[in-house]
Amino acid sequence: MSAGTIAKYAAFSRISATQAGRERNELYGRMAFFAVILGVFSSLWRAVAEAGMPVAADPKSLVWYLAATEWILLSAPPIHLEIQEAIRRGDVVYRLGHPASYVLAEFATGFGLLAVRAPFLGLTAFLCAFAFTGWTPPLSALLIVVPFGFVASTVITALYLGIGLLAFWLQDVAPVYWVWQKLMFVLGGLMLPLELYPAFIQRAAAFTPFPSLLAAPASVVLGTNAVTPGALARNLVIWSGVTAIAVSWMFRRAVSTVTINGG
Amino acid sequence: MVADNVSFTRALVATNFKATVALRGAFVIQVVFMALNNFTFFIFWWALMQHVTTLRGWQLGDIQMLFGMVAAAFGLTVTVAGGVRHLGRFIEDGDLDTLLTQPKPVLVNALGLRSQPSGFGDLVSGLIFIVWSGQISWSRLPIVVVVIAASAVIFVACGTVFFSLAFWLGRVETVATQLWELLVTFSLYPEPLFGGTLRLLLFTVLPAGFVGYLPVRILRAPSLANVTILMFVATGYLCLAVLIFNRGLRRYGSGSRFTTFG
Repeated sequence: MSAGTIAKYAAFSRISATQAGRERNELYGRMAFFAVILGVFSSLWRAVAEAGMPVAADPKSLVWYLAATEWILLSAPPIHLEIQEAIRRGDVVYRLGHPASYVLAEFATGFGLLAVRAPFLGLTAFLCAFAFTGWTPPLSALLIVVPFGFVASTVITALYLGIGLLAFWLQDVAPVYWVWQKLMFVLGGLMLPLELYPAFIQRAAAFTPFPSLLAAPASVVLGTNAVTPGALARNLVIWSGVTAIAVSWMFRRAVSTVTINGG
Repeated sequence: MVADNVSFTRALVATNFKATVALRGAFVIQVVFMALNNFTFFIFWWALMQHVTTLRGWQLGDIQMLFGMVAAAFGLTVTVAGGVRHLGRFIEDGDLDTLLTQPKPVLVNALGLRSQPSGFGDLVSGLIFIVWSGQISWSRLPIVVVVIAASAVIFVACGTVFFSLAFWLGRVETVATQLWELLVTFSLYPEPLFGGTLRLLLFTVLPAGFVGYLPVRILRAPSLANVTILMFVATGYLCLAVLIFNRGLRRYGSGSRFTTFG
């Protein structure tokens, strides 16, 4: 990819980041929601600890685990909604003639939004988790979670792009999104570390990208050493590649079947 | 007057239902996927409760009942009064103009404008959760129906209040949606997790307590006193919502445009 091409898509990211910076209401809403969820779960984990469940070292690390998984998930902008609307309205047709790839432009736009959301939500995660637990994980753990979590959020953004492209065939991608979201919830270990799920769920999760995107980066704060940074990096590279190939294939298939009516 | 409004509401619901099921494939997909969505969410509780038998006195069956109760009430709300979540946009965009010219109550008309097919999935899965909890006998079916209806009325009333803020504050879509989601979120977690000021808020400003906790208490151990309280509260919130909407309607600025709803 040439420097000119990179600059072109960087411009898409810059524009969307600037817009996101100006229209912060949705972001503030997400931050408030994030704080509430962490509050609810810190209370839940305290109740679980009272009930004598042998979870991680203590409930505090589980609150930080949730803060990390939610940060990764909430940072990824739901770009599938915009893509779905563009496809339903037919606006996508005008974009096909532009001297920029529709898929890369949408991804760059999503990345710009992610770049604005991640720091705000990360700060919310840190402050709320600290407020609810009065404890922070070791700095070395946070230094692993932050970069790997950001890359995971980027891959999730690309997956949202793929879900949005399904609108070429389905019109309404909401049902696919719901199921995808809940698979992320369970197989990704969003609220509960995967080790606490039955063995068959853990085995099924291993064949999906979800654990590499959520549980693996977040489990670093649990201090269980379940995954090394090297293995985490390898898994993220593999799933990034698979996602890129799948999204690009879907778009080629979709464009080859599009019927454009003039007028 | 009241009978006229009831008959209008019934006709509105029937028309919406016909419109919703007209696209049969899309309808079935939305219903099935929403039900799947709810069952997948519940795997979290199922996995957690494999490790602990009770959470401050709540067992898996109680959580199933709470989840089922809220899902059914939410489903009923978005099926019958799906417009509630769009009220803010109707107000901001001047979409109430076409309703103001009609000889029927604006609020009822607006609420009935957007029936969500996925609501049937919530309703059905909610009922399955309630039955699955193993705590309800067939003799309690009338109480189940009554508490689900009362809970749905509170959902509608809260949504109306949250989204009617647009009359005074303008663009409140995001804030109102967040309040609505907070109400749903809090109502899905067991009551004993929350205490102090938060508990007070959950029985007043954000009445998750009346949407989920009190109905579950009634279903576990029916009592006339609790049913009366729930009815009284549902009526109170509804009256408040109608009052606020009608007050707001006086401030409504016409969009001066033609819109077709369908």
